[in-house]
Amino acid sequence: MNKSKNAAFAYSFLLPSALLTLVLGIYPIAWAFRYMFYNYKGYGTARFIGLDNFSRILRDAEFWNSVVNTFVYAGGKLLLSIPLSLLLAAILNRKIRGRQLLRAVFFMPTVISTAVMAVVFFTIFNSYNGILNQFLIKFNISSSGIDWLGPKHAMLTVILVAVWGAVGNYMLLFLAGLQNIPEDVYESSSLDGANKIQQFRFITLPMLGPVLQMVIMLAIINALKGYESIMVLTEGGPAGKTEVMFLYLYKLFFPVGGSAASTQVQEFGYGSAVAFMSAVIVGMISLIYFYASRRMNRID
Amino acid sequence: MRTKEITGKTVLWIFLLALAFVTLIPVVITILGSFKTNSELTTGATFLPSKWHFSNYAEAWDQANFSTYTMNSLIVSLSTVAGTLLVASMAAYVVDRMDFFGKKIYVGMQSFTMFVAVGAVVLRPQFDLMVKLHLHSSLWGVILILISAHASIFFILLSFMKGIPRELDEAARIDGSSLGRTFWTIILPLLGPGLGVGALFTFRGAWNEYLLPLVFTMTKPELQTLTVGLANLKYGISAASQTHYMMAGACLSILPILIAYVFANKSFMQMTAGSLKG
Amino acid sequence: MKKQLLLTSLSAVLALGLAACGNSNTAENSGEASNAGKASDAGAASGEKTKITYWTGDRHDAEFVKEKVAEFNETNTDGIEVELVVKGDDFDTALDLSFQTSDSPDVIRVKENTIGTFYKKEYLAPIDEYLSDDMKAKFPEMTDLNTFDGKRYSLPNYGTTMRLIYNKDLFAKAGVTNPPATLQELVDTAKKLTAAGKADGAYGFAQNFKSPTSALGRSARVIAEMSGFGGFGYDFKTARFDFSGFKPIIEAFKQIKDDGSMLPGVESLDIDPLRAQFAEGKIGMYLSYSSEPGVYSTQFPAKIDWAAAPAPTIDGKVKGASGFLGGQWLALSSKSKHKDAAWKFMEYMYSDQMLTSYQEKGFGISMVPSISATAKTPEVNGIEGFLPNQYDGVWPVYPSVAPEGMKSDDAFFKYMLNGGDLDATISDLNKRYNAALDDAIKNDGLKAEPDPSFDPAALAGKFAK
Repeated sequence: MNKSKNAAFAYSFLLPSALLTLVLGIYPIAWAFRYMFYNYKGYGTARFIGLDNFSRILRDAEFWNSVVNTFVYAGGKLLLSIPLSLLLAAILNRKIRGRQLLRAVFFMPTVISTAVMAVVFFTIFNSYNGILNQFLIKFNISSSGIDWLGPKHAMLTVILVAVWGAVGNYMLLFLAGLQNIPEDVYESSSLDGANKIQQFRFITLPMLGPVLQMVIMLAIINALKGYESIMVLTEGGPAGKTEVMFLYLYKLFFPVGGSAASTQVQEFGYGSAVAFMSAVIVGMISLIYFYASRRMNRID
Repeated sequence: MRTKEITGKTVLWIFLLALAFVTLIPVVITILGSFKTNSELTTGATFLPSKWHFSNYAEAWDQANFSTYTMNSLIVSLSTVAGTLLVASMAAYVVDRMDFFGKKIYVGMQSFTMFVAVGAVVLRPQFDLMVKLHLHSSLWGVILILISAHASIFFILLSFMKGIPRELDEAARIDGSSLGRTFWTIILPLLGPGLGVGALFTFRGAWNEYLLPLVFTMTKPELQTLTVGLANLKYGISAASQTHYMMAGACLSILPILIAYVFANKSFMQMTAGSLKG
Repeated sequence: MKKQLLLTSLSAVLALGLAACGNSNTAENSGEASNAGKASDAGAASGEKTKITYWTGDRHDAEFVKEKVAEFNETNTDGIEVELVVKGDDFDTALDLSFQTSDSPDVIRVKENTIGTFYKKEYLAPIDEYLSDDMKAKFPEMTDLNTFDGKRYSLPNYGTTMRLIYNKDLFAKAGVTNPPATLQELVDTAKKLTAAGKADGAYGFAQNFKSPTSALGRSARVIAEMSGFGGFGYDFKTARFDFSGFKPIIEAFKQIKDDGSMLPGVESLDIDPLRAQFAEGKIGMYLSYSSEPGVYSTQFPAKIDWAAAPAPTIDGKVKGASGFLGGQWLALSSKSKHKDAAWKFMEYMYSDQMLTSYQEKGFGISMVPSISATAKTPEVNGIEGFLPNQYDGVWPVYPSVAPEGMKSDDAFFKYMLNGGDLDATISDLNKRYNAALDDAIKNDGLKAEPDPSFDPAALAGKFAK
């Protein structure tokens, strides 16, 4: 009796979320995905072509180039931003002077809109008269400046920009997670003679377990899916050097054209197939991570 | 021992200040840029404005219809925050604390929505649905769709939920508290930090959302939100962008997010104080 | 206590939202009701206004159009009220969605690269029945630009020309008298200008390669068209794609880059920063559209003396026509409930007086022969060089296809950066574009028939004064 009552309670609490997700999340995705078996350009009749779109994916060198770029981009972004934000959270959770101000400072980048970022980062990084190069030349660190957005360094630059934009987010999530660790645990351990690094290793990390696991998972998904800052900074260029999976996908649905350029064709059908393929890739990586990190999901 | 501590402190502060400097540079450039002329800003040769053009703000305020649109943006963002937190925390509670048929399917469904991105393509079916519900030219449509995208907040809250000891539920049950009552009186308050950060992220996301309000206010300009108004400052392809106004508008529009930050930040502080007392 | 606070604020927020959204709903409902009412008495004799909407994506003329729409609303005697809606980059998306509801506009601004798609999506209504014989004669009929399957869907107003834009001060400093007329001269001039200007940070040439499509669409395209090749690699004589005409052009661009005569960092350069640098005098030459004079007179005031010249050709021989883009302006929505009223508004917009002001105020270059014959030169500084000359002409519409793999512009830019085998790149492009063309002909009903008598040089000169 209790069990069925509990189940009824569970379903009633789940209902709003499940209903909204199903109707406004899953259904629209399914609606778009059905086109992956069609040749459809956004008007006229959609022509059924079976699995042709998928065989096209297999021979689409640009797509696989974008997949490789995605891994480089996501890997770089995660390796820099997660440790950095965790470190910042750990430091700013302590009672050091000015921590409120510093938290706000590190949060600042996350509130600036991407559209404006394009202009700002171009001002900083452009090789012709960018602020960074002016600085490097003035202080004789580099004789002629570095081509930050050129073919050799563009990927590094978009990773740095992504890290700049992400650290504040993850720092806040970690900070919030740290609030669940009672201060007295730290106090008693320092009485026992544990230093700060030991405290971090043996108290902070384990107790942060579930939050850490989830934040890293979201960070992975975000890094794999991220494309907006790349779009405003390089549009995937030069010559595909920073083209990532979801930017490539975006361009299939919404071709970026010059003003009076020729009519751009929307690749609705192929785009859906690529969307499906990218979802499979993101899903697989997330699942691998999830199973590999299961140990973190427990508080011992 | 003492010198070691002092060196440690120095290193720590050098690290923090250097990082803060690097973090703030682009922000400072944005603010300074908002006072430049379009050509000075786009040429990008100067750091400080050669002449301070405060009129950019007046112009942005006017052109983007700030006073009206800020209200609309607030309605959308605050309703989305309230709805998202409610829906996601309820779901996270039962998923973490109870066993029932379909739980795995539900979690799989939420994950699935996070793996997929078809961008604005899903707008079409979403819009169709709203046409059927007669919500296609009101902000309700926007709010509902924004609330429906709560997967990441759900997972964040789920992970915070795991940090709340189950003994508390058990104790409440023994005291005769119903499951719903336990959720409202015990779980939610302890979920403070998670809710705070979730609220902040949801607020920021809704505040910056562009395409949805654009589409749903197509025929009702008086319902447009700030992002839509700001995008209007950008010229179309027949001329150059009015980047200086965009910068000024962007600087104005981050203020509400900063206010939201101050509120959210309070929720972390409260918790620390609370746990110290307890 | 805390919970109570949370709940109160939560319900306050919801109530606030409910009130605001509720209001909008009722407003919408009443709006629909009155619309329905109007549809039944379309004559609008009862004194009630017939409301129509006009959507445009144009910003450069927004103030002027706003004024003229207000004037129409005050002066027309048919009780018509026009609502002007100016959209941004999202025009196409918004239009697509509006056609799924009853909220689609009555009058739509169409462009050379959207009218074909809108026609195929059945957004547009033919206007033949409204056209007087006078109007039919006055406005040139252009296949696939305003006329589809023998029916007219729009009329021309103004168009866009493409030119080489150059910094006269830097030319003087480098001792160059004439703008380049061949690719070799372009390469050489860029080199000389760079030698003369580099000390001050000025370079000979620039292109906005942040988007190769945008960069080559305003440069390689017009050079190819002037030299007699289709601007997007399509050959109207054979009805096939053949990019070989682009080989010398792309090689010249690569040469300019390898010489160091190209502004550093063009890989990530957008058109606006390019314009801003040109206005500062840091760029010797670039190729672009006739919207540039407007930008330099209002948005980025030019600190240098500049002018525009016809684009160079491959070898100095003009065998084609410099593309004059346009041929359409306003169109009638197929879903409009007030087509008669909408047409009255269009008639007003297409009046001689209006079209003349468009040219004279410098919003665009008239494509209507009777207007361009009488209208004065625009008031905008630098526009003279953009006015139609003996080289300008309207090309037929290029078929749009979706090839598998890399687009031509990206492939060309990749070659410019990394080198490689350009011949192999071109034959690969030909293969893929023609495969996509065949597919579109077979499956999507695209029409592409060879025209052996097609002579691109014959297109030119029809708009010259």
